[in-house]
Amino acid sequence: MSQLSLKHLEKSFNEARIIKGIDLEVTEGEFVVFVGPSGCGKSTLLRMIAGLEDVSSGEIEIGGRVVNDLPPVQRGIAMVFQSYALYPHMSVYENIAFPLRVERLPQAQVDERVGAAAKVLQLESRLQHRPGQLSGGQRQRVAIGRAIVRQPKIFLFDEPLSNLDAALRSEMRIELMELHKRLGSTMIYVTHDQVEAMTMADKIVVLDAGTISQVGSPLDLYHRPDNLFVAGFIGSPKMNFIGGKVTAADGTTVTVDLGALGTIALPRQSRSVAGQSVTVGIRPEHLRLGEGDFALTVTPNIVEHLGIHTVTYATLPGGENFIGLFEGDPDVPEGTPLKIGFATEQVHLFDQAGLAVY
Amino acid sequence: MTSSRSAVMFALALLAPALIYILIIVAYPLVDTFILSFTNASLRPDYDFVGWANYLRIFTAGNFTEVIIRTFIWTMLSVGMKMVIGMCGAVLLNAAIPGQTLFRILIMPPWVVPMAIGIFMWGWMYNGQFGMISGLLQNFGVIDRPVAWLAYGDTAFWATIVTDVWIGVPMVTIYFLAAMQSIPRDLHEAAWTDGAGRFYRFRRITLPLMIPAVLTMSLLSLIATFNSFDIIWILTQGGPSGSTTTMIIDTYKTAMGSRKYGEGAARAVVICIFVSIFCIVYFRAVRKLSQGEAK
Repeated sequence: MSQLSLKHLEKSFNEARIIKGIDLEVTEGEFVVFVGPSGCGKSTLLRMIAGLEDVSSGEIEIGGRVVNDLPPVQRGIAMVFQSYALYPHMSVYENIAFPLRVERLPQAQVDERVGAAAKVLQLESRLQHRPGQLSGGQRQRVAIGRAIVRQPKIFLFDEPLSNLDAALRSEMRIELMELHKRLGSTMIYVTHDQVEAMTMADKIVVLDAGTISQVGSPLDLYHRPDNLFVAGFIGSPKMNFIGGKVTAADGTTVTVDLGALGTIALPRQSRSVAGQSVTVGIRPEHLRLGEGDFALTVTPNIVEHLGIHTVTYATLPGGENFIGLFEGDPDVPEGTPLKIGFATEQVHLFDQAGLAVY
Repeated sequence: MTSSRSAVMFALALLAPALIYILIIVAYPLVDTFILSFTNASLRPDYDFVGWANYLRIFTAGNFTEVIIRTFIWTMLSVGMKMVIGMCGAVLLNAAIPGQTLFRILIMPPWVVPMAIGIFMWGWMYNGQFGMISGLLQNFGVIDRPVAWLAYGDTAFWATIVTDVWIGVPMVTIYFLAAMQSIPRDLHEAAWTDGAGRFYRFRRITLPLMIPAVLTMSLLSLIATFNSFDIIWILTQGGPSGSTTTMIIDTYKTAMGSRKYGEGAARAVVICIFVSIFCIVYFRAVRKLSQGEAK
């Protein structure tokens, strides 16, 4: 059942259109991640759902009810802010109890709900501390606790891990996923970090300049990106792009001239790309040292040895950056030409409009 | 060792101009006043040391105790009103209301107009025959005859406070506004998301987070108001019948009016002791607050 529905949602600040007609359905219990680069409108979209920003046009439905004109508290949402937004002068207990105090719940009920949230979030021993005495991860948990006690239909998270260091971030990521499983609530999570998106989401919404670029499961987006933007945004290191021109498209194979790199034949049924300038994409982790369906020679100018992986950075004759990701620690010295091959079935093709050709 | 000594010498060389300035402008007059307070100095060229006589006299003869009490009442009322009005002004200026820029401009004149001109303006407004206040209140039927507000003890006392508040409120408002705007917007948004209304947010978030600013401003304002001279002197010169005579006015009258420099100096030393206590409280409060923030 659809719990959140966005219909033709738009938001403008004076002349600037920030959200440009968004349609989205979120079903109950889903973990949805809004991901995109800075300024793509993901936080604005979340704030519109929360009721912190007015809607310029379109509709927001929560649980089948249009909530455009309802204040946040009547929407059945709870939000966790990037800065945690903890009240520095209140104890952890009072921070978590704040929404319940606003509701004027009896003390016994406040104790019960705060106690339950503190237990889930392992904050029982910290209830009398002030936020200033807590670590970043504990502060984050307090902010989540404040959301939990409201028992909302939908949790909204606005880049909640971006203030944490890398180790704590991955720890909190797992805690959030466990929390989602335990509560079974709908969660909408905003991040610019595609690793967070890939690891946490049931459904990823990729935003670009106020529009949805693609919606799908993490692996859908990884294996079948709809366009150049999604292909470049999802995956780390990012996908390699090589410009070329289609010399033939006979309904079974598309042949692309890659200039100095040679000609590549890709299994595609499209005939419409014939004669077009296109982009060929191949993920760094799909490259192999040596031969393949297609092979090219590059000279790495930087090599990163990560133990588990080795990453090479080179520049192609056309000026494009070309990154290779190889398992283990192969012998790939900097400045020495390297033959790299890949399977054509793992190659992505994008037409001159940047849309994927399958 | 040599390098550490040269570092000390270098620091002293840099500090020397400021130290000399402070010694001449602050320390010397302070010490001189303190010494003078133990003498019977007057217009006569020579004077004698009289020990604690001046201090004993100001606390046993005359009405200095009454002046001290009046000074504290005057100061507390003025500071209290400045804080309350300043806070209300800051809340209004901080609210997203139409004409906010106009209000921000309108609050500035008391601060921008030279103080003496502002005080003279109030002097005319308090005038019984030509004053605007008396005229308006008669028009509205609040009073039935002209009232010279500075001619009676009670009204003059309040009139000087009102003028002091008028001059002091803009700075308090701007300071409180800055403190209010430094409260992260997220806190208000989080509270609003949780259903807290404006007044609830003000009571449980804004006000508690403003305490450091209120405390700092109260103490600074207390020191400035306690020493406020120009307003009372220009409006009433401490009258009528001493009803607006505060410690600073009393000291000036004794030293410069009666030419009793020794006794005036003793009164100045008493003022200095009170202000020093305020300063100690202020610095302790600031230290405590900064330690609290560090936690």
